[in-house]
Amino acid sequence: MKPYISIALKNIYNNKGRTIVTILLSSLSTAILVFITAFMDGEHKIMLKNAVELYPGYIQITNKDFRDNPSFDNLIENSTSLVEKVKENDNVSSTSQRFETFVLFSSDTKSVGAMIVGIEPENEKINSKLEQSLLKGKYLENKDKNFLYIGNELAKKLKIKVGDTISFVGTGADYSFCADNLIIKGIFQTGLFEFDSTSSFVNKKYFDEVFVSENLSTHIIIKPKDIDNAQFLSDEISKILPKELDSQSWKEFMKTLVEAMELDGIFGYITVGIFFIVIFFVILIYTLLSVYSRIKEIGILRAIGTKKREIFSMLLFESVVLSFISILIGGIIGAFLAYYFNINPIELGAEFEEQFKQYGLASTALPTDFNVFNILRDMLIMFILCVGSTLYPIVKVNSFKPVEAINHV
Amino acid sequence: MSRYILLILGTTVFLWATSANEIIKKVEDNLNGKSLDMKISMIVHTKRTKRTMKLQSLSIGKTKSFMKVLYPKKDKGITFLKIENTMWQYVPKIERVIKIPASMMLQSWMGSDFTNDDLVRESSISDDYFQKLIFQNNDIYTIELLPKDESTVVWGKVIMNISKKYYLPVKVDYFDEDGELIRILYYKDIKKYGERFYPSYWEMLPQTKEKEGRKTIMTVQSAIFDKEIKSSYFTKRALKRYSK
Repeated sequence: MKPYISIALKNIYNNKGRTIVTILLSSLSTAILVFITAFMDGEHKIMLKNAVELYPGYIQITNKDFRDNPSFDNLIENSTSLVEKVKENDNVSSTSQRFETFVLFSSDTKSVGAMIVGIEPENEKINSKLEQSLLKGKYLENKDKNFLYIGNELAKKLKIKVGDTISFVGTGADYSFCADNLIIKGIFQTGLFEFDSTSSFVNKKYFDEVFVSENLSTHIIIKPKDIDNAQFLSDEISKILPKELDSQSWKEFMKTLVEAMELDGIFGYITVGIFFIVIFFVILIYTLLSVYSRIKEIGILRAIGTKKREIFSMLLFESVVLSFISILIGGIIGAFLAYYFNINPIELGAEFEEQFKQYGLASTALPTDFNVFNILRDMLIMFILCVGSTLYPIVKVNSFKPVEAINHV
Repeated sequence: MSRYILLILGTTVFLWATSANEIIKKVEDNLNGKSLDMKISMIVHTKRTKRTMKLQSLSIGKTKSFMKVLYPKKDKGITFLKIENTMWQYVPKIERVIKIPASMMLQSWMGSDFTNDDLVRESSISDDYFQKLIFQNNDIYTIELLPKDESTVVWGKVIMNISKKYYLPVKVDYFDEDGELIRILYYKDIKKYGERFYPSYWEMLPQTKEKEGRKTIMTVQSAIFDKEIKSSYFTKRALKRYSK
């Protein structure tokens, strides 16, 4: 063992006060960084997950032209046999067919234009959060006839409640005129105002009779077995589709939301960055002070013939050892917190509910994101930061002449 | 001398203008009659589907109009009424009268390529447009129609080709406000009904890209002109009463 290494270790061991303070400061910063990252990522993940699972689904099949021109000329034909074909893929967990269109609802007092969707009630239980969003009455069933499942805000606008009858007029898939009376079976609330005030659902079997949409749909929703695999599965499915159809994963058709989350993430990192600049200077000043207090000692070492380079190595080694211990402790604490709150989500309480709804979050529970790669990355950042912040004090103290250093007050 | 030329020129332009107006008035009279009781069959072609409807239309001049769907079964009994500038629709299945606002007049009528306006003839080509004769040969007049400022019509320009022999339209081009051709309506197969001639085959061809592959054909099954039509057809109560 080189002499400066043993001196460095002795220094660390003998100056317990200094060692403990340094380790405390650095490990606390590391733990905070690891946890904040986990919290931020967790928040974004849950927002996206909620938004995707609420209604849009992980993968959508539509006609290529439907997104730009949602007319009845751009439908999915033979959708039942297509679903069978899609299900042959082992990575598909479940599917559901939907037919979306807009109609004019009219109750005794009010007329409101809104979306009506023919859905497969049983399949939709798995592919969306419609059933869980039930507020009053009952969710739809596969054998239902003219029963309507309607958003709470839309129901309020139309001044109707469960059991009431409402009429609609609209256009069928063959462009014919459609009208019928519907009985309100259930009212749902997802918390998304936009969705709750414009959406309503009926059983697709009934829908097909009225809207002449047998074996036709506007969307086929696919839930992959592994949700992180959505993009890959979507590309796979695209290959077996007829050429006029297209499969997209949520990352493509919810691009704006994904981008908004990324932007939010960038702002988060800027905040974290400012926090780190502060930490950097705190460590720097603290190291500067602690090194200056040892200036006499360093002067003596120099006077008895220790080389500048050796002193530099000794001080740097001290810093590396201390930083390493710190990030290890901090990393473990941070990782533990991230893991703990991943399993037991943070409950922010009812007062945040309104704000959360704006972001499309139905619940106020936020699980953190436990990601080993991110934790290691944050630990590495902290290590570089801690060692880096000691470089200036070391170079500074080394620039003194031995006599100056010995006489330094 | 030049003053005389100007005067002569001026009078000709004036004469052309009046004659355009006269032609249009004559055409309108030929299309509407004093009264008209018609049975029509309509075939709507879309990219994927073909659908037939049958309806009866009763009208007095161009102000009052009543319509009833006879076929298919799904739509049977749906009635429409137009008095002056207001239009209503009655849907027996939901037992409801729906007022169709002016903003919906250019919407598709029962999913066809005809608009509500076409079917009930709300806007009048003689009152709502400036007419100008832009071309004529031995067989046809070509008249350009530009909307008057105060009128509520939505077409930016209409070009009408009119048969000189019958004073009936042959082909009508509809343009939007940007001058883009939106649709073409052909009137063909002129037949004699009673004392009057009337085109028995109407073909509407939308020209916009999003309506590719669509057309609607209307054929006149029977037409009785100028007979007495009960005034009870032209009341709001008629919507429900004559629905059966």
